[in-house]
Amino acid sequence: MTSIVQALLAVSLVLLPVSIYGDTCLAPQVKSQSYSTPEAIVSFDTVLIVEFSLTCKNNLKNVNLYADVAGRTIPATRIGEPNKYQISITDEPKKLPSGAYEIRFFDEEGFALLRKAQRSGESTSSLKPLFTITLNHPGIWSGPLIQSEFVAAMTAIIVWWMAYTQRGKLLA
Amino acid sequence: MKLWWAALILSFGCFLPTFGEEESEARLLVSKNILNQYLVEGKDLTVEYKVFNVGGKVAFDVVLNDNSFPQSSFTPVSGSLKATWERITPNSNVTHAVILKPLKSGYFNFTSADVSYLTSEESKERTFGYSSFPGEGGIVPQREFDRRFSPHVLDWLVFAFMTLPSLGIPYLLWYSSKSKYDQPKPKKN
Amino acid sequence: MAGGKQNKLSREEELLLQDFSRNVSTKSSALFYGNAFIVSAIPMWLFWRIHQMDLYQSAVFFVIGTIISTYLVAFAYKNVKFILKHKIALKREDAVAREMMKKLADDKRMTKKEKDERVLWKKNEVADYEATTFSIFYNNALYLVLLIVASFFILKNFNPVFNYSLSVGSAAGLLALFSTSSKA
Repeated sequence: MTSIVQALLAVSLVLLPVSIYGDTCLAPQVKSQSYSTPEAIVSFDTVLIVEFSLTCKNNLKNVNLYADVAGRTIPATRIGEPNKYQISITDEPKKLPSGAYEIRFFDEEGFALLRKAQRSGESTSSLKPLFTITLNHPGIWSGPLIQSEFVAAMTAIIVWWMAYTQRGKLLA
Repeated sequence: MKLWWAALILSFGCFLPTFGEEESEARLLVSKNILNQYLVEGKDLTVEYKVFNVGGKVAFDVVLNDNSFPQSSFTPVSGSLKATWERITPNSNVTHAVILKPLKSGYFNFTSADVSYLTSEESKERTFGYSSFPGEGGIVPQREFDRRFSPHVLDWLVFAFMTLPSLGIPYLLWYSSKSKYDQPKPKKN
Repeated sequence: MAGGKQNKLSREEELLLQDFSRNVSTKSSALFYGNAFIVSAIPMWLFWRIHQMDLYQSAVFFVIGTIISTYLVAFAYKNVKFILKHKIALKREDAVAREMMKKLADDKRMTKKEKDERVLWKKNEVADYEATTFSIFYNNALYLVLLIVASFFILKNFNPVFNYSLSVGSAAGLLALFSTSSKA
C-alpha cells in the first residue's frame, strides 16, 4: 500500500512542474490539411500526413503537442513557422486501411495523463483531448484489376474464334 | 523488418559524428528513404525520414532540414522539409514524411538531409549530422509512364468503335446471304 | 450443314467459277484494297494514343507500315476468298438453283440452256459475295488478334517504333502466310 502511495507521489512530483509550466491552450483553433498515399506506385508504405496551425485564445505559442491515433502516440513535429505542426504516420498498407482516422491531440498535461492511462492499461477514450482532427484516407489505388489490353485481346480472340469456327463449317 | 532497420542503422552510423563511446549523451541517427515504387514526373514523391536516438540521453531541439530538393525540380505537395522536435527520448524514434512532385524527368541524385541537435539541455554547442542518402534515382517521364501503366480505357473504346464497322459490316453482309440460302432442305419431309 | 449428296461441280461450272475468282474484277479489287487500308490504318490509333508515338515524327513509319500492311492484307483477302468460293458454291448450289427455278418457272420463252446459265451465273454471284464478305470479316478479326497480341504482349517493352514496325509487319505477314497455307 505504501509503495503505491510513494509511486503516486513520485508521479505527481514529476507532473507538478509540467502542469505549472504548461499553461493550457484556451479555445484552440485549428486549420489543417491532410494527405494520404493515393496510389501504390507512389509509395510502398502508406503515408498519412496532417499539417495544421494552432491558434490559442490566450496567445500561447509553440505548445508541445502529442497525437494519439490508431493506437500510436507520436509527438507533433513543428515545422517552419511558429504554431505550425505536422504529423506523419507511415506503415504498411495493411496496417493503415482506408477509412477515417480520428487524431486526438494532447498537450504536455494531457499527454502525461494519456501515458499514465496507457501504462496502467486503462481505456484512454475517456481522456479529453485538446482538439481532434479527422483524416480521411480513401484507400490506395493499386491499378486496374484487369488490364485493358487483356480485355481487348480476349475480345479480339473471341471474335476471331467465332470467325474461325464459321470458316471451318464453310470449308467442311 | 527489425533486422533491416538494424542493418540500416549500422550502415549509416558512420555519417554522424561519434562523440566518444559514452552512453551518457544523446546520439541521433537519421535515415532518409524514398518510398516510391516508381519515380514519375508529376506524380507524388514520398520521402520518409526516421530519427533514432541511440544515445543514453534525451536529445533536445532537434532540427531536421533538407535542402536537397531544388525548387526548379520539385514542388512541395504536403509536409515540410524543415522539421523540429523539442526532444527525442533515448531508444525512441520519430517519423517525418514529405511529399513532393518532381517537375522534371531524368536522373536525380538524392542526397542527405542535415540534422542538428543539443546532446543535453545545458549543452550550448549544437551537434551536426547528416541523414543517409538514398542515392541516384531515375525519374520516369510522364509520357513513358502513361504508355506502360495507364489503362487508356477511352482510347480502347474508341479503338473498338473504329474496328466495329470493319468486322460488323462484312459479317452482317455475309450472314444475311448465308441465312437466305443456308436453310434446311425441305426434301426430307 | 448440306445434308444432300456430295455434289461435284461440272467442268463448265468449274471453269466459270475459276475464271471469276482468278481475275478479281476491278470492283472487288477496290473493295479489298479499301478494306485492307482501313484495317491497316487502325493500328496507328493504338500506337499514337496508347504507345504514345508522335504522329508527325513517326509519319514515315506509319505510311510505310500502312502501305505494306494494306498490300499483304488484300493478298490474304484474295486467297481466303478463292478457297472459300468453291466450298460456298457447293454448299449454296441447291438453294440457289431452287430459288432461280422458282423465279424463272413462269418464263416460258427461256430455253433450258438459258435457265441453266442464269442459275450458274447466280450461283457464282452468291458464292462470290459470300466468299468476299466472309474473307474480309475473317481476315480482319485475325489481323486484329495478331496485332494486339504482338504489340501489347510480345513486343510490349520494346521501343514504340520498333514495336509498330514489327507488330504491323508480323500481323500482316502472318495473315498472308496463313491465307496461303490452308489452300490444300
